[in-house]
Amino acid sequence: MYGRKGYQLVKDFASGEKGQLKPFNSKLFDEAVEECDQNHHLIQSLIRKMQQEGLDVQNNRNADHYGALIHHLSLIRNKRCLMAYVYNRAEIVRDLAWRVGLELLDLPSEIQEKLTTLEKEYFKNHSVAIKSYMGKVGIELNVDMVPPKDPYIKVRVLDDIDDGIVLGDKITNFSRHSMHFVKRTDAEQYIARGQMEELTG
Amino acid sequence: MAKYFDIDDILIEEEFVPVLFHKTANGVTIDLSAETSCVEQGAKVELPFWLAHELYLRQAVSINLPACFDQKTKLEIQADAACVDLRSRCPYFYEFGCKLEPLVTDRTIGILLSTAFKIRYKETLTKVYTAAHITASKFLPLLTKEETNLYEAAHLSMTEFKKWRVGGARFQRASILGRKRKETY
Repeated sequence: MYGRKGYQLVKDFASGEKGQLKPFNSKLFDEAVEECDQNHHLIQSLIRKMQQEGLDVQNNRNADHYGALIHHLSLIRNKRCLMAYVYNRAEIVRDLAWRVGLELLDLPSEIQEKLTTLEKEYFKNHSVAIKSYMGKVGIELNVDMVPPKDPYIKVRVLDDIDDGIVLGDKITNFSRHSMHFVKRTDAEQYIARGQMEELTG
Repeated sequence: MAKYFDIDDILIEEEFVPVLFHKTANGVTIDLSAETSCVEQGAKVELPFWLAHELYLRQAVSINLPACFDQKTKLEIQADAACVDLRSRCPYFYEFGCKLEPLVTDRTIGILLSTAFKIRYKETLTKVYTAAHITASKFLPLLTKEETNLYEAAHLSMTEFKKWRVGGARFQRASILGRKRKETY
């Protein structure tokens, strides 16, 4: 009661590392919605009581009015917590599209597991929007996030990457621990996902 | 409204404040000492700030100072602000204080906050730039959430500066994915 569940939900979000996803807490989410329903019923019963007593619900300031007010404020508070939870997660989902990759299946599986169906849908739609915008302006906006010094960089493969990736015009074999001299723009997405690292010096 | 979706702002407003009810409210179980589900006029209860604030605006309650701004804390801050454990009293000491200040009769909170912050800010910055990050564990638990953010920002700028001077890999795994899993060789 009185915004407890909403608070717990927000607290759950805040307890994670900043800017990183935790699994969607549907249990607390549903409980917060449930709490809103309870508040709503109590408001209605208090207002009904005032109407039965023949009082002017709009202007009367009796004990029932203040009771209903407290429930109303609690409901609004829970709503704010629920909205903030979804909104802040959506922000991270958009970040994923910009920084890691526009294809849902390119995301590491442990990240994909944390998204709900609706969030996945949102991710796809956001990616489509970015792609269509980039197509219109003719610039790839999600590359060169770090200002480039050289168009080619040396990288080492850290993780097994599927064979047969075509870079430029030839098929490259990215076996684990192998080193390559590749185009920055090609390597960027693999580094972002932690599958390659840049070698310097 | 600007901070409607702000997680920190929501957490700040969850801090409890003691209030005095001027009106009776039916159908709520806030006053746990009362036998019925209502709050009597004159009841003293603790409410989260968001509720207390709205009720205050409708003249239903008056707000008293919460424990984190009591006389004892004030004296400790006057003695040596940098060593007071503010986090355990209130993790959002400053922002909560700013929100509370216009609603209470005590006019000294503003000065208390600004003196405490000035002294502690200076101390925090000095520690970031001189002490090694490992020794920080001693004084980090004393800092409020706001101060921790400042500390981390300062620390980050220091490491970035060092990295820029030494050179090194400029590309990194996206921080959004979390810490790296343990490598299996």
